[in-house]
Amino acid sequence: MKEKLFNLTENLLSQLKEGGADVAYCTARMSETLEFNVDGGTFSLLRTLFDRGLSMTAIKEGKKGSVGTNSFDSDTVETTVANCLALSDSSEADSAWEIAPGMGEKCFERGAVIPDKDRLFDRTQELLADISARYPLIVMEQMIVTHTKSESVYRNTNGSVFNTVSGYYSVELMFSGHEGEESSSFFSSGVLTDNLDTPFIELGSIARDLEDTEKQIRTVPCEGKYVGTMLLSPGCLSSFIDSIADNFASDRPLLDGTSIWKDKLGEKVADERITISLMPKSDKVVCGENYTGEGFLSENFDFIRDGRLESFFASCYISNKTGVPRAKNTSGNVIMKAGEKSLEDIIKNIDRGILVGRFSGGEPGINGDFSGVAKNSFLIEGGKIVGAASETMISGNLADMLLDLVDISCETVSDGVSILPYAAFNGITISGK
Amino acid sequence: MNRDIILKSKELFAAGVHTELRAQINKSQGVSIISGNLTGNASSEVSGLSARVYKNGVYGFSSMAECTYEAARAVLEAATDNAVFMDSRVRKGTDMFPSQKSGFVERYTSTDTPSQKRYIDFARSLDSYITEKYPSLSGRCVMVRADSMEKMLVTSDGCDGYTSMPRSYVYISMTGETSNGTPVELMTPIGGFGTFDTVFTSPEALYEKIDRIYEKIRQKQEGIYPEAGLKTCILGGELAGMLAHEAVGHTVEADLVLGGSVAAHNLGREVASPIVSMVDFAHTFRGEAVPLPVYVDDEGVEAIDAPLITNGILTGYMNNRETAHRFGMTPTGNARAYRFSDEPLIRMRNTAILPGTSKLEDMIASIDDGYYFVDTNNGQADTTGEFMFGICMGYEIKNGKLGRALLDTTISGVAFEMLKTVDMLSDTMTWASSGFCGKKQPMPVGLGGPAVKCKVTVGGR
Repeated sequence: MKEKLFNLTENLLSQLKEGGADVAYCTARMSETLEFNVDGGTFSLLRTLFDRGLSMTAIKEGKKGSVGTNSFDSDTVETTVANCLALSDSSEADSAWEIAPGMGEKCFERGAVIPDKDRLFDRTQELLADISARYPLIVMEQMIVTHTKSESVYRNTNGSVFNTVSGYYSVELMFSGHEGEESSSFFSSGVLTDNLDTPFIELGSIARDLEDTEKQIRTVPCEGKYVGTMLLSPGCLSSFIDSIADNFASDRPLLDGTSIWKDKLGEKVADERITISLMPKSDKVVCGENYTGEGFLSENFDFIRDGRLESFFASCYISNKTGVPRAKNTSGNVIMKAGEKSLEDIIKNIDRGILVGRFSGGEPGINGDFSGVAKNSFLIEGGKIVGAASETMISGNLADMLLDLVDISCETVSDGVSILPYAAFNGITISGK
Repeated sequence: MNRDIILKSKELFAAGVHTELRAQINKSQGVSIISGNLTGNASSEVSGLSARVYKNGVYGFSSMAECTYEAARAVLEAATDNAVFMDSRVRKGTDMFPSQKSGFVERYTSTDTPSQKRYIDFARSLDSYITEKYPSLSGRCVMVRADSMEKMLVTSDGCDGYTSMPRSYVYISMTGETSNGTPVELMTPIGGFGTFDTVFTSPEALYEKIDRIYEKIRQKQEGIYPEAGLKTCILGGELAGMLAHEAVGHTVEADLVLGGSVAAHNLGREVASPIVSMVDFAHTFRGEAVPLPVYVDDEGVEAIDAPLITNGILTGYMNNRETAHRFGMTPTGNARAYRFSDEPLIRMRNTAILPGTSKLEDMIASIDDGYYFVDTNNGQADTTGEFMFGICMGYEIKNGKLGRALLDTTISGVAFEMLKTVDMLSDTMTWASSGFCGKKQPMPVGLGGPAVKCKVTVGGR
């Protein structure tokens, strides 16, 4: 397989150069996926997928074009190269387009490359049995358990050749709690792992999520409207961090100048206890990114360190357009520094607020305003959880909340993608029906 | 696509099991111009074959990125092996579902695409128009997107078919600032079914729509936050479609019913005001094609309409062949797959609340203190029917008249409670089709409805 991918990418770059490309890069990939599906609590499907993909980008006189296909036959490759060059020709010159410098030949091998099909089935069956025994009120809407193996070669005209071989297992569950005609909201949980040594129920936050969901079948109403504390679960914190990154630090708001953080690099944007990093090279991350889509070798970086903005999520193009430094990876492997207090102690200190498991909200405004429904959540009063919340809305501002931190928990959840604690913020408007 | 290879591959089907073999090509093209910079210029084409085999209550599936007779043999063998493995480990022993009408359904619309330069020139013309006419905007984005699915399906029992679904859209986004410097944004999709040149005749034909988007941005610049709480409101047609799809439609997909959705306990019960009816349309509404017509699904079921709510009573679910057998219902052609490597799932097609008899002006005049929500930028719902929609354009209603524009907010409610508060439906119908529904796989879907007067919880600030 490796030789085929090496030859294909070499041939491709030659054709692009011969067609007039000044610089170019391409990736050829082959993958195999094995997937068990459970629907309505019972096994329903086994899939095996044999896939491949070819993507290429050419820059010709400053004009860039990108195409993709999943056919490796020579006629299609020839046509796709011609399409790529035609796209470049039809584009507009922009000196900000460039490709990564040559970094030589590198090989990356990560994870469990060879799947153990029988053991994977057994672990899946064991998870269903564990849930049935320990969480009898849970109805499993869907469970998808996969092993994905892939091999790829990235090559650019500056001399980089990266060969990657990786394999990992993924477990995704979607479920809800039921008793008679009463039910909780649906919830999801999942992990990536590179081995089958541990029962799935013990990974990530699966057990806690199932336990919480059973407690959410019966709810209590949120009375009135008040400004209180929002305690985010690790999973929900992840979605808030994504929104903060998208709204204030990603390519689009940097390019059109609407980011309210565009001039804040190195400045305080959050409480000094907040450090958020992107760490694909962490040994806790399963099959983390080795190089970016633009062909730069991935390195860990801090997004916010001790409350100061350390990096944007800028691509090479946006870096060249705006002058901000390029982000050192594009992984999404978010790791937030844990705090010192236990979750229990944080809750004890909350006078009135809400522990949010999932946020169902509109796209936050570009100024950071957000509002939406607190799903899979618990109301907190006088330092105690008083019940699962029903029809409760929360609103606030993403930038303001980072500066109004209450506490970060010492407990964290590691799911193979991210490592995140619980975090509590003040100044959130919480309202009932 | 070589249709003869797929037809010939039927001879490879194993006896005694239900088999589907599908060849598929997905194409997409896109161009993005952000604040004058051409940031996106890409196209892709993905094709291949897949087979699915049903045996004693479990499925085996396999796919390959090739459309040859040898690939058909390989995926059929692998899918059969997978079904046998699952049957040997699970031993469900479920009956085979009933036979379906056979035949060949051919509904192919061209998926040919113009050159990428055509997309770039079109987007550049629109961007230039916006820049020259509205220089005070603080940000703008023009995106052109076209995608298509072309499918050839053969089955051991049911219809075979050759179909396609091309879509083309232009997305216009504008950003302005309020008097205190707070940015406000609005993104609007324009387009529908068909290849780019059949949907868009010229950039000039869109100028009037662009002017209307700018007018909305100008109104939002002077906008106010709505008051939080339960309010009497009018949801515009696009929001009614979102309600039909997100808050009701997903709960009546039979796989989610089996997974414990609120609809499991409500079949035959009153779930809405008697003036509310809702249907998942296959291909035609009142004699005209719906936004994204489906004529045969990916299990070989000829597509027909699926009535979901009739005069306020929950009357049906959307099914695949297996769940229809389980619930004793008729399959209506809702099993759809997005890519060649995807298995068919129960999906919506064109889900809509049916229009009523009221005039929008009369609906507005009937409200002393409330809101008219017009545009949405996203929506989510729960299997309990609890929903949340992001509102990116709306107006206050005071003493029966439209007032100031609103800044972004959210609305929420519980579908089967909220639908009981509906007391007026407009006689107009608005359809939308630019988005993808997400449920393991993406899927293009249409949604629609009239303006709906009801009570919902407003997020405010």
